[in-house]
Amino acid sequence: MMKQLFPIRHVMGYLASLVLSAAALIVIYGDLSSSANMVVLLVTALIQASLQLFVFMHIGESADSKKELYLNIAYAMFVALVTIFGTLFIFVWGWYA
Amino acid sequence: MKIDASKPLEYSTEENSNKIFGFWVFLGAEIPLFATLFTVYFVMVNRFASGPSGSELFEIGPVLMETFLLLSSSFTIGLAVHAMRLGYKKATMVFMAITLLMGLAFVGIEIDEFFTYVHEGATLQTSGFLSSLFVLLGTHGLHVSFGFLWGVGIMIQLWRRGITPATANKTFIFSLFWHFLDVVWIFIFSFVYLKGLM
Repeated sequence: MMKQLFPIRHVMGYLASLVLSAAALIVIYGDLSSSANMVVLLVTALIQASLQLFVFMHIGESADSKKELYLNIAYAMFVALVTIFGTLFIFVWGWYA
Repeated sequence: MKIDASKPLEYSTEENSNKIFGFWVFLGAEIPLFATLFTVYFVMVNRFASGPSGSELFEIGPVLMETFLLLSSSFTIGLAVHAMRLGYKKATMVFMAITLLMGLAFVGIEIDEFFTYVHEGATLQTSGFLSSLFVLLGTHGLHVSFGFLWGVGIMIQLWRRGITPATANKTFIFSLFWHFLDVVWIFIFSFVYLKGLM
């Protein structure tokens, strides 16, 4: 019963997310350049977000509307990225600032 | 109501599948919501006027605790849905109760953090940095608080009615919401706290 209640896929996903969070701490305790730090943060955060999406949220599971679902989330992410990076481009990285 | 036995209970009727799809569409609207709040924060992060900056304000201890709680609760709600699919009502409810308690502890730590900030003179009105920080963290914390109440409501239904197509559907949708909050937190942890302390 215990083995049934703790599927290996979930346990591995959980351990991976803990390890990735701990690994991200290198940006404050390590001695990397600030651009290397940003790469570490981006990589660990994106892997963790995908873990949630694919391992825990079962995004690929609904057979009837899988394509629409992926499209909807992909478009939402596109809007999010344009909002964030478009604004940074104009206000922070020098176009206007 | 036509029940398709080949699918998990929470997808088993057309209404159920539509509700799950509809909730994904809602999450698709939550993504731009948090993106705009992150955008404001990134623009304001260096405008701390006469108030403290992120590296002066943030403490890693409580943040790690919050991260651990939210990651673990995301794991346990995943286990709750897994147990539900196996038909174990009691295990589902135990996992869900653990999830909600961890959510409550998370909100507790966050409220304590806000009080600490305000005591140090870092209020919503102090600077652009702090306004955007409080709005970003507050919106996430409000989602967790609302999730706690929602989860309690679903647990009451599970306890009274057992695992039915309707309660299974609600539990599954709740799990999507909870995992989503964890995703948002991962970005707050990385790009607000860790980047601030870099």
